Amino acid sequence: MIEFKNVAKYYDGQSVLRNINIKVEKGEMVFVTGHSGAGKTTLLKLIYAEEMPDEGEITIGTFHFPIMKEREIPALRRSIGIVFQDFKLKNDLTVFENVALPLQIRGMKDKEIKPLVTEALRKVHLRHKIEVFPKTLSGGEQQRIVIARAIVANPLVVLADEPTGNLDEEIAHDIISIFHEIHLQGTTVVIATHFQDMYRRTGSRVIRLDTGNIIGEEVG
Amino acid sequence: MQISYSLHVALQSIWREKWINLLTVLAVATSLLIVSLMYFVFYNTESLAGKLPERFSISVYLKDGLSQQDVQELTAQIKKRGDVADVKYIAKEQALEELKKSVADIGTVLEGLQDNPLSSSLDIKLKQEFVSVSSVREISEALKALPGVDSVYNGEKIADTIAQLKHAVTTVGLAVFGLIAFGVVFIIYSSVKNLFYRKREDVEILKLLGASSAFIRLPFLMEGGTIGLVGGALGMLGAYGCYYLLVMQLGALLPFVSLLVFPHEIAVALPLGGLCFGVVGALVAIGRIRFS
Repeated sequence: MIEFKNVAKYYDGQSVLRNINIKVEKGEMVFVTGHSGAGKTTLLKLIYAEEMPDEGEITIGTFHFPIMKEREIPALRRSIGIVFQDFKLKNDLTVFENVALPLQIRGMKDKEIKPLVTEALRKVHLRHKIEVFPKTLSGGEQQRIVIARAIVANPLVVLADEPTGNLDEEIAHDIISIFHEIHLQGTTVVIATHFQDMYRRTGSRVIRLDTGNIIGEEVG
Repeated sequence: MQISYSLHVALQSIWREKWINLLTVLAVATSLLIVSLMYFVFYNTESLAGKLPERFSISVYLKDGLSQQDVQELTAQIKKRGDVADVKYIAKEQALEELKKSVADIGTVLEGLQDNPLSSSLDIKLKQEFVSVSSVREISEALKALPGVDSVYNGEKIADTIAQLKHAVTTVGLAVFGLIAFGVVFIIYSSVKNLFYRKREDVEILKLLGASSAFIRLPFLMEGGTIGLVGGALGMLGAYGCYYLLVMQLGALLPFVSLLVFPHEIAVALPLGGLCFGVVGALVAIGRIRFS
């Protein structure tokens, strides 16, 4: 599903990722962990093509860097659901409209969109907040909207960047269980986190990064 | 579905920034109103110049003492020319009668006349394709050389003046149109560019969610197009307002004003032009959308 071969990435001549080799199988749940600045976010950005590798090759399903053309990037991103660290919600849209956005982008009709959005919001336990605006919600609730938006179009892969980053422990555990449910439905999930409880006793693969290098792999 | 979504986003955005957009619409409307007024002048000059060939005639004044047979022969000779459409003989008595009718208000002027001072003449209508300054000049020279012809009056100066006026109006009109078209595109370009800048975070979110460049562009194009369309429609209403004001206020004082025709194609052309300028301005403002 996802494969990195000898991937390196530099910013202003400084290496942020070096010699990265990763393979994530379809339906697998993988955690990428490490301290702040280890390269976790950059690694995720390489998957959804916000960044391009300076060296090496990346394969995401049928998309292959560096052969892929810029005009193919939207199609790649439509096959991925992304949970951003800073949420990236549109504050002028309601919860429903935010979650519906990936479906609007896919050109779906309103009558097809409504049940899918309702179902995605049910999965994150926010069906009752459908008509409110994100700014009126707590950080945990906003994070769950972002998760609903990431899964609403049933993507092949869900990526999450520090999904429990700013949340208190109880809400963080709630978020963790939502990701496990998504994984159990057969979706490939890659989560970048430094929160150990997120991957402890999950039985999933954990990739450790340190200053841009993979320093080890373990089972959580 | 994308169209209804984009339209919703565009109208929502127009409403949110209603005061700035209103100013933009008014600037577009004013610019297009100027264009329509220029076209109004151009249209009427064209119309006047277009009617000239139908009304244009050359007057050939005959020498005194020509017999009826001489006149008939001369008329036949002129009719044979390929550039002449019709020839009408006006006897000197008929000319005097017409003159008396035309100066009826100051009729006493002609009361003291013992003899008829006027000449008989031939009124020559040219075929439309020969009504140009150069042809008229050539034909007049040829007519002047015919036996029995005293003098020729051809109105060459009128034709020349109208041709020059037409040329000047066309040149100035095109220049003003070009400048204003550029101005309208620039006004909408600035408005959409500003909006695009303020919405750059939203655009970024859309890109990350997999939106195509068409999906991102469409609301901005619709917004630019709507501003142009509404500006054009207001400009059109303004043009009609100006015309009726002109005719109603000045029609009684200056009779020729009521002869001016309003080109009704403006009713469609102005909003449509505004729409096109709006879309072009927005397209230029957005530029190329980059995904990486």
